[in-house]
Amino acid sequence: MTQESSDEALCRRVAAGDDAAFDLLVARHQGRAYRLAWSLLRDAEDARDVSQEAFLRVYRTAGSFRGDARFSTWFYRILVNLCLDHRRRGSWWRRLLVRDDGAGAPEGALLDRQPAPVADPGDRIERAQMTSRLWAAVDRLTPQQRAVIVLHVQEELPTSQIATVLGCSEATVRVHLHRAVTTLRGVVRRD
Amino acid sequence: MTDGRHPDVELTGYAAEALTPAERARVETHLDACADCRRAVQEHRAVLATLAAEASTPPPIDWGRYQADLRARRERAGRRRWWARPWPAVLAAGVAAAIVLLAVHGLDRRPGELATVEETVLGARLPMLQQYRVVERLDLLEDLDAIRQLDRFGHGS
Repeated sequence: MTQESSDEALCRRVAAGDDAAFDLLVARHQGRAYRLAWSLLRDAEDARDVSQEAFLRVYRTAGSFRGDARFSTWFYRILVNLCLDHRRRGSWWRRLLVRDDGAGAPEGALLDRQPAPVADPGDRIERAQMTSRLWAAVDRLTPQQRAVIVLHVQEELPTSQIATVLGCSEATVRVHLHRAVTTLRGVVRRD
Repeated sequence: MTDGRHPDVELTGYAAEALTPAERARVETHLDACADCRRAVQEHRAVLATLAAEASTPPPIDWGRYQADLRARRERAGRRRWWARPWPAVLAAGVAAAIVLLAVHGLDRRPGELATVEETVLGARLPMLQQYRVVERLDLLEDLDAIRQLDRFGHGS
């Protein structure tokens, strides 16, 4: 990647009114944005809508990107905040649908998470069930805990960068991570 | 850790490989002596590894349509927000300020004071009025009918 086509350079061009630069940024980040939004919202239509809104925010506020952090960190911050806001607004009815036994998990969750290939078919089924239960449990974590887990295990961000994305201290991120993993460990132990 | 308590938060950080070298060394010292924490670390790692191995795979999406929709939303937002651009904002602010000034000055005028139009008319007549000896009482100046009469006298003389 040349310096001219770095995310940060593209963002500066967007701020100057270059729509082609914006299209390039979208093409570059749309896959991760949609996947991250889906992991946090567990609804394809919402993920599509919220990730597009995040790009529109970038379009409107590119001039406020100071460049003291990576573009991806700034963009993740916008996107995660939008997802958390979206969940807060919709949580009253989601809580009614998602029951403690995971029966209310979004349809297709089992199919969407294909198990990793292992030798024994019995192991594979057991692993698929466990994975499904774990992700269903992730969906019932607090929004902050869920965001930390997704950003850590899926986006592979270090805790320092997660702290920047969530706008909190690294110590707080570690506490969220600890509480989330402790809860998920309890799900595994109950089996 | 040194006081015998289990370093719960640090154990998760250790399993997630999120600790500094110094923190990591302290945890490892504790783990050497604590079987419960060693088991906890293994379980934490299993949870994180399982989630990482089966990362979220959202339903497929038509990216061409996604980009087209985004472009349409961008254009709609641009049209809707034309008033937020600098020049209309300045123009609107100027008009608003003019309206406020007019309203304030209009309301601020006390009863008995001449209106702006009347002051202008009177001001235009003053040089002529000064030529009239008949004007002996200044309060006549507040009566536009009297001024019009004086005008007629003036033109007639």
